[in-house]
Amino acid sequence: MSARLASVVVFVAASTLVARAQNAAFSTKVEAVRVDVLVTDKGQPVRGLTPADFEIFDNGVLQQVDLVSFEQIPLNVILALDMSDSVAGERLDHLRIAGHALLNGLKKDDQAALVTFRRDVTLDADLTTDAAAVRAALDEAEPAGATALVDGAYSAIVVGESDVGRALLIVFSDGLDTSSWLPSESVLESAKRSDVVAYAVSVGRARAEFLRDLTSFTGGRLFEIEKTANLSAIFLSVLEEFRQRYLVSYTPHGVARDGWHRLTVRVKRGGTVKARPGYLAGS
Amino acid sequence: MRRSLAALLCLAGVVVNAAAPPVSPRIARVERWLKAVLTHEPGTSDDAFGAVAAWPMASVGALWVDLNSLVALMRNPRIARFDIRQPGQRVTQSIRYTPNDMHRLRILACAAAGLVQHQECLALKAGAETDGDLLRLARLAEASVRRGDANYVLRRGALLHTDVAMASPAATEPIEPPGSAAPQRLRLSLDDGFGKGLGQSAVHWEIARMLLDHVQPAGSDKADPAHDDMVRRWYRATAAWMQSRENYETLHLDRARGIFPDDPDILFLNGALHETYAAPHIQSAVHGVSLPSGMTFDLDSDHGEFRRAEGFLRRAVTLQPDFSEAHLRLGHVLLRLGKPADAVKELTQAIATGDDDLLRYYAALFSGAAREALGDFEAAAESYARAAELQPSAQSPHLALSSIARRRGDRSGALREIRLVFELASGSEDDDPWWTYHTAQARNADDLLAELIQPFLSGSDR
Repeated sequence: MSARLASVVVFVAASTLVARAQNAAFSTKVEAVRVDVLVTDKGQPVRGLTPADFEIFDNGVLQQVDLVSFEQIPLNVILALDMSDSVAGERLDHLRIAGHALLNGLKKDDQAALVTFRRDVTLDADLTTDAAAVRAALDEAEPAGATALVDGAYSAIVVGESDVGRALLIVFSDGLDTSSWLPSESVLESAKRSDVVAYAVSVGRARAEFLRDLTSFTGGRLFEIEKTANLSAIFLSVLEEFRQRYLVSYTPHGVARDGWHRLTVRVKRGGTVKARPGYLAGS
Repeated sequence: MRRSLAALLCLAGVVVNAAAPPVSPRIARVERWLKAVLTHEPGTSDDAFGAVAAWPMASVGALWVDLNSLVALMRNPRIARFDIRQPGQRVTQSIRYTPNDMHRLRILACAAAGLVQHQECLALKAGAETDGDLLRLARLAEASVRRGDANYVLRRGALLHTDVAMASPAATEPIEPPGSAAPQRLRLSLDDGFGKGLGQSAVHWEIARMLLDHVQPAGSDKADPAHDDMVRRWYRATAAWMQSRENYETLHLDRARGIFPDDPDILFLNGALHETYAAPHIQSAVHGVSLPSGMTFDLDSDHGEFRRAEGFLRRAVTLQPDFSEAHLRLGHVLLRLGKPADAVKELTQAIATGDDDLLRYYAALFSGAAREALGDFEAAAESYARAAELQPSAQSPHLALSSIARRRGDRSGALREIRLVFELASGSEDDDPWWTYHTAQARNADDLLAELIQPFLSGSDR
């Protein structure tokens, strides 16, 4: 059963190269696991790896890697941006410039979406290949009120899961969460169940525990910065790094379905591997 | 009696300018203060209000000291020694005045207490050294005494400073080293989870509290604010006002609780205050600020603040078992303390004893979270769905429903609820009461204040 389902995933993953509108409705039952993996050697990305080069251990059990994709699969980039009061002014200018730079760096089949959060959470632009529409939405977003960072991040994760493409979530916040309903633990649990890879930029004095955990659990990275002048460079470096990642897929066997699955990813020929530390399955 | 006092008033107006010995600016300020108390219409920004509001903080601090002396003299015109103790301090400080200042302060106390005709005040020739405004004040104070309330200036003075304090709650000046007998209050402004601007604030609230500390109930010759209904209503209204404006002052409710230890409303507001103190934006902002040496914010960890809140709210519901909003807040606090089963009990009580849609919304939302924490996702989803029905414009229940769907592996359900969240996106804080939960306990603050000042409005008592 699981082998057949796994093949469905492979098929759909491949089909996204040509057919974008697929919906991931089947994904609730699929047991295949996708892991975004960055492999570097002396800081430089390692290219040309095949399934045979990877070893994936799920709860210590070596798995059969089904598929490794590199660059072929378009990206779904979800920007989740803090639009609370404290962003107003120069920070907003830098954020818009950085957002534009990132959107300009997308390829033709890549999609982008914009989620902003104040005390409420807004979908300013749904996933689309029309980068201009997302740019326009970013230009129109205005800061106001408190910061629902956790609610915003969660909503963006769900948007990221709404399409079968590889989802890159970029969260930007300059503040502490002051108005979310969802507890951070609950959202981190959702992140552990998700294929979305989260990167985050935390500006200023805010303690960024939530963003640190979010990026850690999803295999992304947290940038903690004081000033936003170089935000464009950070956004572009995130995009560049994500493009260098392999999408490795396997169907778990020899492990219990539910609960936390500790992942270990290795590359036989050596190198530094960055991937999410595990995933959560079952309720 | 009233006619003779009026006649005296006319005479005094002539005499006072010629005979009054020079006094210090501090005592002159006390006199101006009494005249402001006389003319101020509570709840308004009239000239008297404007005059007092314009005084520098150092002057207001000195006024606190001199009003302590004035009030002592009002109660006993013969005393000659003033030992001032700041709220919460053990050490007293002796205040000394020059003979001229002392004399003038006694005259002012005679007028403020409506005692111009009393033996001690007559001996001071208080009437002769009192101008028309002060004699009018004396007449009103005396009339109040005849009605059984010897607290005319105390109550009206407190209301004047209440108005000033409420008009510019965030006003601060640079911090100066403590040097006088007056209390020093530091105020931290918060913005989006950060402390911005630590400054020294004027002690208007301290003056109001101090004045009301000396209120004597009808028929008593001893200060006993605990048995005065106006003082009780003042603390309820002002504490609610502070919370409604996110203008927090622990001392205020500590004092209220000290006077009214068994008042469920005051215990409730204490609970709500400490519940708010546990919030991340307060914790982060306060713990991130460097205070001058020797000064502290009275703030515990978030867990400690929730524990404090639990204690106050438990007492409130013990004293008033049908206090639905106290049950609600207690349920939320218990949820945050990791006691979801206990939280469910309190929230069930809140729903059983209350019929307010707002409270039912909160109770449904918190019940959902408590049941989710207990692993009962079915019941949690039902609670959240009920919250969504009660507040169709709110995002929070749909975020919660989405999260539950996600936990259960139902990605399409999670997405469906998030789409609803996006459809409900709104800049209006009214759309989701969760966003204003930290001030909702004080939503009746303006009504309480209106009820408080109503007996003091023109025509009511003068």
